[in-house]
Amino acid sequence: MTHAVSRVLLAAAIGLVGSAAGAAELRVGYSADITTLDPANHRSRVTEGLILNLYDALLARTDDMKIVPELAESWKQIDATTYEFVLRKGVKFHSGSEMTADDVKFTFDRLVKDGAMGGQTSPRKSLLGPLKDTSVVNPTTVRFHLAEPWPILAAYLPFQQVVSKAFVEKVGTPAMATQADGTGPFKLVDWRRGDSIILERFDGYYGGSPDLAPVGKAGVDRVVFKIIPESASRVAALLAGEVDLIDELPVHSIKQIEANPRTKVLATNGTRSFFIPMNNTRPPFNDARVRLAANLAVDRKLIIDRVLSGLATPLNGLLSPESYGFNANLPSLALDVDRAKKLLAEAGHPNGVEATLDVANAFKDVAEAVASQLTRAGIRTKVQLWEQTTLSQTWAKPETNGRDMVFQSWGDGALDPVGIFVPVLKGKDRGNYSGYANKDVDALLTSADTEVDVAKRSKMYQDAQAIVAKDTPLIFLWLPQDVYGASARLKNWRPSPRGVVKLHDARVD
Amino acid sequence: MTPLRLIERLLQLVPVLLGISVIVFAMMALTPGDPVQIMLGDSLSNEAQKESLRRDMGLDLPVAERFVRFLGNAVTGNFGLSFFHRRPVGEIILERLPATIELTLVSLLIAILVAIPLGVIAAVRRDSLLDRLATVGSMLGVSMPGFWFGILLILLFAVQLHWLPVSGRIGFGQEVPAVTRFVLVDALIAGRLDSFLDALRHILMPAVTLGLGMAALLMRVTRTAMVEALAQDYVVFAEAKGLSRARVIGRHALKNALIPTVTVAAIETGSLLGGNMIVETVFGWPGLGRLVVEAIFTRNYPLVQAAVLLYAVTYVFLNFLADLLYTVLNPKVRL
Repeated sequence: MTHAVSRVLLAAAIGLVGSAAGAAELRVGYSADITTLDPANHRSRVTEGLILNLYDALLARTDDMKIVPELAESWKQIDATTYEFVLRKGVKFHSGSEMTADDVKFTFDRLVKDGAMGGQTSPRKSLLGPLKDTSVVNPTTVRFHLAEPWPILAAYLPFQQVVSKAFVEKVGTPAMATQADGTGPFKLVDWRRGDSIILERFDGYYGGSPDLAPVGKAGVDRVVFKIIPESASRVAALLAGEVDLIDELPVHSIKQIEANPRTKVLATNGTRSFFIPMNNTRPPFNDARVRLAANLAVDRKLIIDRVLSGLATPLNGLLSPESYGFNANLPSLALDVDRAKKLLAEAGHPNGVEATLDVANAFKDVAEAVASQLTRAGIRTKVQLWEQTTLSQTWAKPETNGRDMVFQSWGDGALDPVGIFVPVLKGKDRGNYSGYANKDVDALLTSADTEVDVAKRSKMYQDAQAIVAKDTPLIFLWLPQDVYGASARLKNWRPSPRGVVKLHDARVD
Repeated sequence: MTPLRLIERLLQLVPVLLGISVIVFAMMALTPGDPVQIMLGDSLSNEAQKESLRRDMGLDLPVAERFVRFLGNAVTGNFGLSFFHRRPVGEIILERLPATIELTLVSLLIAILVAIPLGVIAAVRRDSLLDRLATVGSMLGVSMPGFWFGILLILLFAVQLHWLPVSGRIGFGQEVPAVTRFVLVDALIAGRLDSFLDALRHILMPAVTLGLGMAALLMRVTRTAMVEALAQDYVVFAEAKGLSRARVIGRHALKNALIPTVTVAAIETGSLLGGNMIVETVFGWPGLGRLVVEAIFTRNYPLVQAAVLLYAVTYVFLNFLADLLYTVLNPKVRL
């Protein structure tokens, strides 16, 4: 009898030890600390990337950027300004309560109503455009009411995660910054500020969107995000086996990671286009021929191969090929130095022109490569270094800044022209550094803003791209890939084109 | 020191801190860059959003009014909400401060333990091989960039030899309950020797990196002061009295030679706080320095202002401490 008991105890002890040792833990070397755990109180992709492991959203994106239901089961448009969402049943928050339409209404009220976050207004409000109200139809159905038609509502819903009404009311908005009660695949164990964020699998997880295989609980027991801001240290941590995955792998470390049998490089198209606005408001770049010459002078492929380790896609326009409304028939801007020189001569510059290219410190190398190619074609370009914030401020008013060119990039996680084409190329818009203003382009973009017909709206953007391709207000460059380093034991995880590290699918050997 | 003198010294702090507040506030206000714009970045935004953020950050008020409010709140220890964390700045700084203090103190300890014995030996054995080696070594130590030295340490001890961890304060699974929030101390309180050793392994590389420059400097100062002291009449007299060599060096020469060393050490401890910014980044050390650098880049005014005031108070305090130590080392000095 005693023997039997002790044997059972022994077996239990071994079992405990065994399960502790066998617990699958995935460690991520993350380049920056998050600012908050409150899904409604930030504007940071790094922060959102982590929050997505704790909180799910009404809709999600597949790897090929299709919009699919997540916490919603289905959705439909009722009229031009009303959308209806039917919620998935049986979805639980980490605290055990079931998600209902009240939680969804509370979440979106908190996002769009002024002062709804303990007196403050959510910094994410404008990511929901003209959404003004949400109403509960029944416990599993909500309606979204817009102030005006907004065709891209669905594209922006994956950015907003659903919170628990009861939890927020219990802890209050200040505590939401450091506590979490989501519906996501992991729950929060501890956030050691500046050091690490520790998560563990949520066993009550409903499984996630049926359109995002594999459906089910998270593949690892524990996830640790270690904050390692210095890229050389992050690479070292991966090589030393301290972490299994690192983000923001620097291009110069790619060979080292590839050569090591225990590590590998993972990459996917990013959502940030790089380009060089030329100052369209003053000579020499107020002449379309000079601007086209500049575009033909740049050997994108060479720079991508030599400076960016081949990890970028050359662009003939502003949009990513994966973007909605992408025009695949734009004229090629392949290298043609002779034609560039001819165009310069036609524009009255047979001996070429002088120009300055402004760039923030971080992009000095590529900017110098571009400058040397421009110079070879007769646009003798000097590179000037700036601090990023000062640079942005200087270029906010191209018509009075007296500058020539600036190295710029623009990110758009929604992959919709509204998030990149409009701000960069519409007259006087917030990211328009070139000073470009074309009445026809502006008219097309304004109509597309409220056009609900998907095909018609896409056609408007394609037409706008065709006009811009003739005017070439920018030197179009490339779309860099997001590059990660991973250990060989990491399985089943692919980088997301949204640039977030969601680890639901990941497994470790 | 009389209590009156102490109060006088503390009162002297007031104009210093006021002056620093004005300078920091003006610098942040004059630096180009709009925190609202930085926060919103490229993503969808509109004027209404910018206005509400500006209001939440208190940036809708005129600069003068902002300054008066800042001063008024700062007196009561309220430094406002961090623009990006949207939480009280004081809370955020306190979360990060223990890590920075712990790292600074361990670096200081390493620097002193290395520098003073080496400095004394170099002075006593002047022009010997050891003296020359120490001098060359200290030159290297002073001129080596901490960033580069830190990466070299990581490559050798973490990547090649696997002896020490790349980053962090303590390993996962070695956590101890936070009492003082100094991990080394907390491990001892919890009676966990394994955790203490693990925390020690974590702090070793950052502390050596941070303490290197200081050790080199202190060694040179100690050596110079010792050489000078050893040439003094009282040392010759003590030797003539027939005191042992150790007693002459230890009691007579070193005690006086330590005065400049203590001054430099106290002042340099302040600059260790500054050096922290780089070391904390390289070793992923969750301290204040890294947070402040990020805050400067993102124009997080409240956080930068509070942190700089804290640095200033620390500097003044350390100088005060150096003065106090003088009186202990040399009773002739009165405060």
